[in-house]
Parts: sequence; structure tokens; C-alpha cells
Amino acid sequence: MIATIVDWAALRDVVLASLAAGVGITVAFSTAIFGLTRFADLRRDDRVGAAWAFAGVAIVGLAVSGTAVVFGIILLVSK
Amino acid sequence: MDSDLVLVIVVVTALAFDFTNGFHDTANVVATGISTRAIPPRTAVAGAALLNFVGAFISLEVAATVAGGIVEADLITPTIVFAGLIGAIAWNLITWWYGLPSSSSHALIGGVVGAAFAAAGAEAVLAEGLVGKVFVPALIAPVLAFLVAGIAILCAYRIIARLRPGSVNRGFRLGQIVSGSLLALSHGTNDAQKTMGIITLALIAHGDISADDFHVPTWVVVSAATAIALGTYVGGWRIIRTLGTRIIKMDPAQGFAAQGAGATVILAASHFGYPLSTTHTISGAVMGAGAAKRMSAVRWGVAGNIVMAWVLTIPAAGAIGGVVYGVTRVFGDGALGPVVVSVLVVGLLAAIFGRRLREVPPPPPIPVGSQSPP
Repeated sequence: MIATIVDWAALRDVVLASLAAGVGITVAFSTAIFGLTRFADLRRDDRVGAAWAFAGVAIVGLAVSGTAVVFGIILLVSK
Repeated sequence: MDSDLVLVIVVVTALAFDFTNGFHDTANVVATGISTRAIPPRTAVAGAALLNFVGAFISLEVAATVAGGIVEADLITPTIVFAGLIGAIAWNLITWWYGLPSSSSHALIGGVVGAAFAAAGAEAVLAEGLVGKVFVPALIAPVLAFLVAGIAILCAYRIIARLRPGSVNRGFRLGQIVSGSLLALSHGTNDAQKTMGIITLALIAHGDISADDFHVPTWVVVSAATAIALGTYVGGWRIIRTLGTRIIKMDPAQGFAAQGAGATVILAASHFGYPLSTTHTISGAVMGAGAAKRMSAVRWGVAGNIVMAWVLTIPAAGAIGGVVYGVTRVFGDGALGPVVVSVLVVGLLAAIFGRRLREVPPPPPIPVGSQSPP
């Protein structure tokens, strides 16, 4: 009975999208924090080259996080 | 004349439900942000109220299907809707009193199912719809959010392992403001729709709007948005305390992971046409973020009480809805039944809360950073 009542295809999509987006946004934001913290530490130590490399990591992390938020708002608005 | 009065009573009751929906679910949006000190309590509820208000205007895909596919639509009358709303309001207030986050949507569905059952018997309830649209999603939401938040926080801890806690916490607190805002917006979009749908259906049943020209009047949108925003602003502090500090003692990274997992699960489910309860999702995410760090970090007794409230929501709201419908029928088919019940409910609430307010000073909003329940 359950097999016919439940929309398994939609459920599979929900599970996969939730795992990818939910874990992805936390990983991206954590990476941004990691990059920013390392950037601040290395710049204080006058290791400018390495510092800017971590700044790049932070920018990528923030960009992915920001894109995910904007995509979420688009999903809300386009319902 | 009688039908006009019943319509007015249904509209007012629907807005009252919307208000309880707002203050009952405030916790879903603000609890983690408040407990990790990402945002001051009053600012959090004010921001959530504003975003709930805005969210109600974003999408007008009306939830005309509140209980649709779950009860026989042809059998639904304004009196059944009224009784269902009273059942939902009553269960929302009971669970709020005990500080338990439970689904307002399930309370509404339970109330309407119970009233429909009392009115027309078992044939009024569509069992397949109840299982497929309510019971299965109720199992999936917390489990999925638990897993997503758990995996997310484990990944986050690996990435930030060797960093200074100060800057990490500041970063995640900022992130929580954004993820909390997204949650508030999605809550307004989803939950205010239920009230709009009920009021619009009542207007159609009354003949004010043609069923062929289904649209939501502007006053319905504005009043529903206002009611849920006001409810959110009042804030259900008891539930905020439970969700924010009594299940786990959260750090900002866990708060962010819980909110991020909650928001993405809700949005993904909504996008793929598989709407899940905001309350079940966020509660599951909070437990997952705690359990991933350490199983014993979760106060499983509190979590068990919450799950028990979820299990009881539909039968309890249904029983109240059924009894309320039975009482209204004692007074006949007209407006007298709903009028009598409304007067009784308002009187009961005034007696309970009036006495409570006189006897007990209001508790402090929330013990930030405290692991012990107040």
C-alpha cells in the first residue's frame, strides 16, 4: 500500500537535493571562514602571498554560499 | 444572515489560528540564532515577524488544498472548518504551554479530519491521503534533517578544527543571521498561505467569490500576513527555550548547520512538490547537529517529549475538532453553535491566561548559553 501512496521519485529528489545543498552550503561557508581566518593570521605574520591565496579560498566559499542563498530566494519567489 | 455570521466567525477564527501559528513557530526561525547569541532575542523576533509578513506576499500559490486529498472536499462545510480551526488552535496552545514544538499544519489537518469524521463518519477521511501526505512526510522530515545537519556539522568541524574559536564563532553567527532570514521568509511564504486558503474557501462557499475565478482578495492577503507577523513578534518564548537550549547546548557552527540544513530541506521539499513540516525539519536538524558532535550532547528525554507531541498532534487536534463540531451541532445548523463555542473559548482563554498573568511574573525571554532548563 505504502509503495503506491508515496511519490518515491519526488522523495528521492528531495533527499539528494537536501543532502547536496544542506551539506554543501555548510562546507562552503566553513571554507570561507577558514580562508578568512587563515588570511588574517598570515597577513599578521607578513606572509602576504600565502595570505592572499587563502583570501581567494574565502572568496570562493562566500561566492558559493551567496549563490545558494540567492537560489533559495529565487525558489521561494518563483513558487 | 446566519451564513454571514458563520463566515465572519470562520474568518476571525482562521486569523486567530494564523496568530497562534506565528508565535508557535517563531522558535523554528529564531531559537538557534538566539541561543548562540548570533542575534539579540527582541531583534530576532522583530526581524522574523517582518520577514514572515513579507514572505506572505511573495507567493500566492494558495494552499487551497489544506486538508485537500485528506478529507472529502464535497463534505466540508464552514462549521467543519470552524471546528477544525478550534482543534488546531487548542493543540497549538497546549503544546506552547508545555514548550513543545509541534506542527501547526498537522494540528490544522488533524482538527479538520476530526471534525469531518464527526460530521460524516469514516467515509469523510481519505486514508491514503492521510498516509501519503501527512504520516510519511512526518517521518521523513526529522530523519532527513537530522542526517543533513549531522553530516554538515561533521564536515564543518573538520574544516575549522585548528582555527581560533573567536573568529570562527563570529563568522558562523553572521551566517546564522542570513540562514535564519531565509527560514523566516520561507515560513511566511508557506504558512500564511494556509490561512489565506481557508478564508478564500469560506468566501467561495459563501458565494462572495466564484469557484471558477479563484483568487485571493487583497484584504485576505494583508490580514493573514499581519496575523502571522504579529504572532511571530509576540514570540513563543517557551518553545524558543526548548528548541534553543533544552535539546542541545549549541555552538554557532551547530546553529548554522542546523539552520542551513533546515532551510535547504524545506526549500528542496517545497520545490519538488513534497512539502514537509517546518517544525519537524528544524527540530530534527537541531538534534542532528547535536548528536553528530556527541550522542550524549542531545537531551533525549526532551527529544522524546517532542516526538510524543508530534505523534499526538493529529489525534489530539482531531479529537478536539470532533468534540467542537458535536457541540456546535447541539445548537442546530445555524450560527448559534459557532457563536456559543466562540464565546466559550474566548471566556476559557481569558480565565486561564488572565489568572496566570496576575499570579506569575513573565519569565525572562531565554537563558542564553544555559544548558539547564529554567
